[in-house]
Amino acid sequence: MTLDPSFMWTAFLSLFKALPTTLMITFVSVICGLFIGTVVALCRIYRIPGLSQLSTAYVTFIRGTPMLMHLLIIYFGLPILIDSLAAKWEWSFTSASIPLIGFVFIAFSITAGAYMSEVVRAGIVAVDRGQIEAAHSIGMTTPQALRRIVLPQALAVSLPNLSNSVIGMLHGSTLAYTISVVEINAQALVVAANNWKYFEAYIAAAVLFWGLTLLIERGSGWLEKRLNAYHRGGVM
Amino acid sequence: MSRRFDMTYVFDFIPKLLAYLNITLLIVGSSILLGLIIGMLVALPRLYNVPVLKRVSQVYISFFRGTPILIQLFLIYYGLPTILQWINIDISRVAVLYFVILAYALNSGAFVSEMIRASVSAVDRGQIEAAQSIGMSGYQTFTRIILPQALAISIPLFGNLVIGNLKDTSLAFTLGVMEMTGRSQTLGTATQHFVETYIALSLIYFVISMILEQGFLWLERRLHRHEAGAKQTSAVIRRKWLTRPVSALSKGGRSG
Amino acid sequence: MIQLEQISKSFGKQEVLQSIDLQVKKGEVVVILGPSGSGKTTLLRCINYLEKPDAGQITIGDLKVDTKHPTKKEIHALRQQTAMVFQQYNLFKHKTALENVMEGLTIVRKMPKDKARTISIQVLEKVGLGNKLDHYPVQLSGGQQQRVGIARALALNPEVILFDEPTSALDPELVGEVLSVIRKIAKEGITMIVVTHEMDFARDVANHVVFMDGGLVVEEGTPEEIFQRPKEERTRQFLSRITPQATYSI
Repeated sequence: MTLDPSFMWTAFLSLFKALPTTLMITFVSVICGLFIGTVVALCRIYRIPGLSQLSTAYVTFIRGTPMLMHLLIIYFGLPILIDSLAAKWEWSFTSASIPLIGFVFIAFSITAGAYMSEVVRAGIVAVDRGQIEAAHSIGMTTPQALRRIVLPQALAVSLPNLSNSVIGMLHGSTLAYTISVVEINAQALVVAANNWKYFEAYIAAAVLFWGLTLLIERGSGWLEKRLNAYHRGGVM
Repeated sequence: MSRRFDMTYVFDFIPKLLAYLNITLLIVGSSILLGLIIGMLVALPRLYNVPVLKRVSQVYISFFRGTPILIQLFLIYYGLPTILQWINIDISRVAVLYFVILAYALNSGAFVSEMIRASVSAVDRGQIEAAQSIGMSGYQTFTRIILPQALAISIPLFGNLVIGNLKDTSLAFTLGVMEMTGRSQTLGTATQHFVETYIALSLIYFVISMILEQGFLWLERRLHRHEAGAKQTSAVIRRKWLTRPVSALSKGGRSG
Repeated sequence: MIQLEQISKSFGKQEVLQSIDLQVKKGEVVVILGPSGSGKTTLLRCINYLEKPDAGQITIGDLKVDTKHPTKKEIHALRQQTAMVFQQYNLFKHKTALENVMEGLTIVRKMPKDKARTISIQVLEKVGLGNKLDHYPVQLSGGQQQRVGIARALALNPEVILFDEPTSALDPELVGEVLSVIRKIAKEGITMIVVTHEMDFARDVANHVVFMDGGLVVEEGTPEEIFQRPKEERTRQFLSRITPQATYSI
């Protein structure tokens, strides 16, 4: 066995075909996860009876189990649920009409939601209580205070955690190959198997992921600098 | 796929899966142990600011934190035999399990090294100055003052790391290792009750995670007993870690 | 005797210390005054090499150190001869009051444990904390923590104790207890160099007062000379801004 550098380049180029799928999975799960996470975090911070306990259970369970389980349970479980409901209520909609990637979106949004809720919660908690009181004191309502005062500050504080979670979801997207969604990892497997050059294909995949990760880290670092401008003091 | 969901299967599967718990724990235990050693070695050049080695450490850490664990598994499984063949070592007969352990160890090593660096640099500068002011040597300062405090700081991070590693081991099956997840695949295929298998498996992972979490919490309280109201302090420290950039090394959503 | 000769230090382009000379006789209490940024804390931290001077010479007893090229051994010796009380107390967070005081004796001086314990308890009793031996720093008030800090320094029986603004981090009502402990040990003839903003205390306790500004020693002398008849305009300005005590009027 020898290493074939030129094949590494070929593999690298063919991996780009799967790049949109990987990015799509990451993007959808992060956005939906942020939404779920914010709702869950607010339920917990404001101790809404019932919902608060439910939220805690959700976050604890998801964080205590592998992401692969979430995907597999949704992939195998959701069709059973939908089809039994469809049979009962005579829907025309069945699980067969859900595309494979749909299961990935749903499962990973659920995963991301739990992790994002921790990010959001830590961000909100980090904002000084006095800030909300000051907002109330000039007559803002709580939603106004959250949106105009707390959120911008919380975002700046939680950016490192956020970028960390985005990277986590990017890396997690490789699991989609287990249910035959062709993202970068699956594509690497295909390229490798066709040419029997596994090492080269996986070096290419690793480099691609490494590059994407560094890109996210740099981007968030840059954004953090801008968002934290008010910390630096002095006239800008 | 159209079979009905049957809860009895879940209970039926749990003991069958637990029979393979020892393999999962073997992977976790040995890779964490190896990871600790690797992590310390990798952290040293950065702590002592050794010119070239520091750079090597940084690249190592960046790579293993910057690529998915699944890719790392494949890379080591397919790549290591190739590399070792160049220097005429044949490892084609070595069991897959060892590749898996090595992959997780290398991965944990990167996180451990970051954990060490973060914990050491989180020790208050004044503590070091105080140690120096009473005449302690560098070695004394490190072992008597920095290390005990850094250890206490690192416990929650280490807990996250171990739990993350446990969850990551569910990917070992992709290389054909027969641990709990691998077993669940065969069970699912044999009975066609996949959902029940994975629910059973999730419950097992969940319980182990909880046990680990409580264990580390207990340990943390013990090590922080010098800080009044350990429970409260621990919450404060946790919160602090979450909001600090260094928590980038808490494995977060990265666990597979 | 302690002698500093031509100690210089810059942070980047800014010269924080410009060739400072200072002499402290055995048993003397020297108070260094000056506005913030005058370099007084930096000077203090140069004496035990927590700050690396760019040039100059430090003599403590028989030990003579060229600060430009000190050996590791010399730095270690400097720190063995001195002890410091910090503005932020810097007690070892993971050790009790007693353990904090014992640490230097057992680890650095290699004293047997029971002997170290006896000495440490004595010193802690002297600072009025005989009943707090097993308390961790977080369980103590700021004033108590600082008194442990003083005990930690005192137990080592060093040639000189360096006090770096020992009361500026304290709540006003806790300043008194710490100052009275320092006063007490000053009377025992222990050599001390104190950086402080407490003027009454300085006047009361000092044998010698040094006024620094802009990295230079502007003026030095007895407390009477400095407080009653300051020669330099800058000293006068500084004292007139500080002396009308507003501290307790709140």
